[in-house]
Amino acid sequence: MRGAPRLLPFDWRGLVLPVGFLLAIELIATMSTIERDAFAAPSAVLAAAARTLSSGVTLKAAGETVITAGAGLLLGLVIGLLVGIPLGLFRRADLLMMVPLESLRPVPPVALIPLSLLIFGFGYRMEIAVVAFAVVGPIFLFTRSAIRGIDPQLMEVSHALGLGFLAQVTKIVLPAILPRIFVAFRIALGIALVVAVTVEITANPLGLGYRMTIAQQSLQPDLMFALLLWIGLLGWSLNALLVRAEARLFGAAA
Amino acid sequence: MPGQLRTHPWQPRPVAEARAAADPVIAASGVSLDLGGTAVLSDIDLAVARGEVVCIVGASGCGKTSLLRLLAGLLRPTAGEVSYQGNPVRRPRSDIAFVFQDYGKALLPWRNAAQNVSLALEAIGVPKPARAKRIEELLVKVGLAGHAAKLPRELSGGMQQRLQIARCLAQEPSVLLMDEPFGALDAMTRQALQDETLAIAAASHASIVFVTHDLDEAIYLGDRVLGLAGSPGRISETVPVHLPRPRDQLTTRENPEFVRLRRALHDFIGTVERDRRAQ
Amino acid sequence: MSRQERLLWSMASIGLAVFLVIAVAKVSEIRLVSPIFLPPPQRIWAALVKGLTMGNFGAMFLATVRHMVVGLTLAACLGIGLGAMIGTSASARAYLMPTLEFLRPFPSSAIIPVTIAFFGLTETMMLAVIAFGSFWPILMATIHGFSTVEPRLEDVSRALGLSRQSAMMKIALPHAMPDILGGMRIGLTMALVLATVGEMLTGRNGLGQTILLAARSFRTADLYAGIILLGVIGFASMLIFDRVERRLLRWRS
Repeated sequence: MRGAPRLLPFDWRGLVLPVGFLLAIELIATMSTIERDAFAAPSAVLAAAARTLSSGVTLKAAGETVITAGAGLLLGLVIGLLVGIPLGLFRRADLLMMVPLESLRPVPPVALIPLSLLIFGFGYRMEIAVVAFAVVGPIFLFTRSAIRGIDPQLMEVSHALGLGFLAQVTKIVLPAILPRIFVAFRIALGIALVVAVTVEITANPLGLGYRMTIAQQSLQPDLMFALLLWIGLLGWSLNALLVRAEARLFGAAA
Repeated sequence: MPGQLRTHPWQPRPVAEARAAADPVIAASGVSLDLGGTAVLSDIDLAVARGEVVCIVGASGCGKTSLLRLLAGLLRPTAGEVSYQGNPVRRPRSDIAFVFQDYGKALLPWRNAAQNVSLALEAIGVPKPARAKRIEELLVKVGLAGHAAKLPRELSGGMQQRLQIARCLAQEPSVLLMDEPFGALDAMTRQALQDETLAIAAASHASIVFVTHDLDEAIYLGDRVLGLAGSPGRISETVPVHLPRPRDQLTTRENPEFVRLRRALHDFIGTVERDRRAQ
Repeated sequence: MSRQERLLWSMASIGLAVFLVIAVAKVSEIRLVSPIFLPPPQRIWAALVKGLTMGNFGAMFLATVRHMVVGLTLAACLGIGLGAMIGTSASARAYLMPTLEFLRPFPSSAIIPVTIAFFGLTETMMLAVIAFGSFWPILMATIHGFSTVEPRLEDVSRALGLSRQSAMMKIALPHAMPDILGGMRIGLTMALVLATVGEMLTGRNGLGQTILLAARSFRTADLYAGIILLGVIGFASMLIFDRVERRLLRWRS
């Protein structure tokens, strides 16, 4: 840390901007009479955040978002693995499926929101479907490339041992790609949360995204920002949890 | 006195040194260097005359590269001063050119050979219309004519190093600083480049400071060989090389004087190793 | 696997796709799945053609593309410009990177209610959201590219005496280009997503509005046609981007 003068035992320079910004907003909010529809003092936001937590709103809404994101993630994970493993192992099957799969790839998952709404109506199923679609693509790609990256000698060993196909997959292939699948899972979790929140903001009346929209429409900016904070915290903590788990489970192998 | 030039007792004070001391092109006086709390170089006195080839040898990590970077102006000394034609060197100058050992990393991979040479011309402000001709001349001079449109990754190691030298020559330098430039090349390419370097130097009267760990190369190329040793590094040996020029890979290396110099330097390295192990 | 065999299987793939389309037509015909959810491909195709020739699909298509392009251009200019400045200054990085890393995981769609609060359901709001969502990956990638320039090239740049601006344009920028393009690729995806979402929310012109209205009035064929068109935008934009990237990074093996 060659540049900063040693006032404090850590690099305080990173805090200057956020702290300064928050203080400025706080001052402006308390002193001026700017339109309060969109603007909220950090203190008010924190108060609102505390309120939602104590009233149970945060947990309820976060729970809805997490459940839908999680369910969609699991569904997408299973499908992605089921398709990715065979296509990764068998080049011919991969080439055969190329045109149908590549035609699906460019479609943005959000385009499926109206379709999902049409089929399922409002509620959990609709959101889970969109999340699953969004997650399948990355999981499939990751799985396929993880399989391709397996040391060919490992596959030779499994042939030499005379293992049947299912045994090969469960005993050799899956353990070999597990670390990379975990990384893919972590990334897919991020995607799942983003897509879930997007669906909630756009169309679906449940979860944190929906509450945020309501807060904005009822001109409660402090609540809106508080919910934004909760969304960010949710994503950050889930990611941190998974990173910790990854390090614990796989260590150097990841 | 530590750090003073030490010469063999039976040699008269070499003419080159006298000339260098009188009117050096580039010089370091009383230079010391500390990096990250460690003393790397201590009390270096060095003067290079016009057209002289000075080789610096020493074990790895003794500060050879740092000394070269000091002369280039890429580093500032902790004590003492580096001067170029009498004026202090505070930052790199266009008439001091530096040839790096890792040529692959020193060339711009997205520019072809001609464009890489052009970079130096752009830096010194040569107007666009004049550049093409100069680039062509330089590429011919280093033997890369016809490869102007090739990217560095399409050139062999030796050719890449030639390209770097061409770029350095584009600066029309009076001093060429070379940091183990041929260390990563095979023996045949190395010998060819040694001779080409000597020819270029002779033609342009540029002074060369050449760092290497190859003793034979140092003797073959140099008018003087300086031995850097110790931690922090000091010039603990100066060996004048009175071999006839132009040098020749076969006859010069068989010259009994060459053999004698090689033995002297080997002894020097042996002493250094012994001292180091004793510490 | 030989080249011929590879070609054979690729041809078979096209055949498979055709077979699937026919299968869908059959499934719809025998009403295995209600045609409201899955109309026969002929009807989707008819809706697509009709929408493009007589309806407003063409205009909506262009509107979405326009939203993407404007938002992305804004994001790229800001992202690359700021990224270059931050990436080349160690002190700027020390002040800014913690905040940037903290903000990075926030989903850009969550910013939508905030933007609506500030700008209302307007074109500006939509462009702000698109630009914000695309800006982020471009900025982070650019910072990374500019802050990891090969140190030897920095030596060369100093030894040659290049001015700071020269060094940035001639050495740092080309060196960072692979990273920048990687960030722009993500930004491109985000631009399409956020354009669609923005159109759905604001009801402004664009394919997002088209498909939402189609869903609400159960015009499923139009809905699928709209989805196909969005897929076409995704496909074409990636194709163009790949072309551009390959040209700019020709020097890489």
